[in-house]
Amino acid sequence: MSDKKPPVIELVDLKKRFGIGDASHDALDGVTLTVERGEFIAIMGPSGCGKTTLLNVLGLLDSDVDGDYILNGTNTTLLSRRKQAHIRSKQIGFVFQSFNLIPRLTVLENVAMPLLYKGDLKTKRLKKASAILKTFHLHEREYYMPHQLSGGQVQRVAIARALVNEPSIILADEPTGNLDSNASHIIMEELSELHKKGNTIIMVTHNPNLTTYASRVITMLDGKIDTDTFRLPSSQSKHEKIPLGDMEEIQ
Amino acid sequence: MLLYNHIENALQSVRSNKLRSLLTALGITIGIASITAILSLGAGARAIVADQVDSLGGTLAIVRPGVQASSLSQNISQLSSPQYAASTLTKDDLSTISKTEHVSAVAPLMVLQGAVHGDLSAPPVGTHIVATTPQLQEINQIKIFDGQFLDEDLIETTAVVGYQLAIDLFGTEQVIGKSIKVRGETFTIIGILERINTPINFNTVDFDKSVFIGFESGILQNQGTAHIQQINFQVDSVANLDSAVIEVNKALLKNHLNQPDFTVATGASIAQPNSQLFTIITGVSVAIAAISLLVGGVGIMNIMLVSVAERTREIGIRKAMGATNGNISMQFITESLLLSIVGGILGYVLGYLLAFGVSLLLTFDPVFSWEILATALCVSVITGTLFGAFPAIKAARKDPITALRLYN
Repeated sequence: MSDKKPPVIELVDLKKRFGIGDASHDALDGVTLTVERGEFIAIMGPSGCGKTTLLNVLGLLDSDVDGDYILNGTNTTLLSRRKQAHIRSKQIGFVFQSFNLIPRLTVLENVAMPLLYKGDLKTKRLKKASAILKTFHLHEREYYMPHQLSGGQVQRVAIARALVNEPSIILADEPTGNLDSNASHIIMEELSELHKKGNTIIMVTHNPNLTTYASRVITMLDGKIDTDTFRLPSSQSKHEKIPLGDMEEIQ
Repeated sequence: MLLYNHIENALQSVRSNKLRSLLTALGITIGIASITAILSLGAGARAIVADQVDSLGGTLAIVRPGVQASSLSQNISQLSSPQYAASTLTKDDLSTISKTEHVSAVAPLMVLQGAVHGDLSAPPVGTHIVATTPQLQEINQIKIFDGQFLDEDLIETTAVVGYQLAIDLFGTEQVIGKSIKVRGETFTIIGILERINTPINFNTVDFDKSVFIGFESGILQNQGTAHIQQINFQVDSVANLDSAVIEVNKALLKNHLNQPDFTVATGASIAQPNSQLFTIITGVSVAIAAISLLVGGVGIMNIMLVSVAERTREIGIRKAMGATNGNISMQFITESLLLSIVGGILGYVLGYLLAFGVSLLLTFDPVFSWEILATALCVSVITGTLFGAFPAIKAARKDPITALRLYN
């Protein structure tokens, strides 16, 4: 491979339309965007401007779009749903506003779940999940049920879950939307920490204060990119992604 | 590996809804229990006659008038044809068989209808008058409760009665020396058989309710003609059975002017008319029992649909984490399979408890066989897959975005 790696994400004139005929409405109206490795992007904008739709498309949850979405050099719009699921499993980590842990599974089982669809054996799954929880200082909460944790803790578990399969990109949809400001800052510190370790993060937020953590801020309006601002020298994001724990040991 | 995880997942889901899962499985349990009970009792009924033949040591063969039905439908039409038609077997046939090589004993069964009177005023109904020879005791291994079986020297004026008939006629089983009126003729009872309690047997009459008189006396009572329903004969060893049967067939065919209007049967084919009848009865009963299984299956489908709706959000999360549609549908299929297999195993056990309970009222026992176990398991697996498939496909087709937005 050449030293100049291809961008993680390339969007070319991406369009997403809801409804039919007169009632149709373009949620995304020609978005062209390139995301380099190691960027921390905050997407802002008023309600209904297409932020969440964009994130769903980036996460391959919504593939019924016009235009091209090239992820790590692969054009995903032509792939089957099954292939897209495999890409989600290996390359994408989700963090949701409402946390979305499975309530009847323990913290450890929740974190280990993405590895199931990657095909890891049970012992390996749990070991990896345990190792990653340790980096979030949650290893004492492994056997708690999600409802026994505070909101901030639950979101940290969710971030751990998004990271456990070592994804290329982390997609966060208002990760602090359901948290108080104290917990919000803890979560943002965690994300910022991941960013410094070389992870690519794309985050949707309503809170302008939180954009200070990001390296690039994109504002959207009516399905189009309105402004695109780089806040930090991009040199910082050029180095390789550093694994979080001693993952080699486990494997 | 993924399957193991699905099983674990399904177990956990079942455990978290114990009562609901139990009630759902109960539907399958009842269906499988009724099928198991019917099949095991049906097999038991089919085995009665075959077991009787086996217990006589494998040297027995019988000759019956007419041609034995080879298929089920022929058997059904034979059932409805008159049983009182004149028999094609004659006294000549009897002597022909007894002269055949290797045949060690021959006994005709000439069954007459008619009133039998004893001490009690009301004659019992359903009594069979069996005219035969003393050799029947040897061939059928008849056990005597008291006295003796028919004897060549006294055959014209003596009779032997079945255990139940003795009680019905005289109110006691101490009947030796008493007089019995068979179609107006008086006989002296010289023996009483042990109770055998096999109303269904290859002789087509219930020996417990029969009176045995000499063959010649029977012919006299039947206006001088022999009306032989069946001839039982025994060969000297198992090895000679086949050759003897062939010889008998040949000789009888000659007697009957080459008209094959009789059947020589051995082993399992002796039991065939009975077992075919029971096959029909079992088949119809199983078909009815299958309806309850259908109801159980719909119950599983119903609960699985509820379960899918309840876990819509979980499906969304799993899909976002990289689960394919196949993974999701496997998860729910595994769960419905678990319910149906557990239900099926419980039903199998319950079915046998039921069968043994019912068999207390019957003259035969349920049969254990791997076929019944396999049927029970296969049927529950098929039910689980069939009725779990629709909910599972429904789960797999859920749109992850909608599923995740739910209850937000």
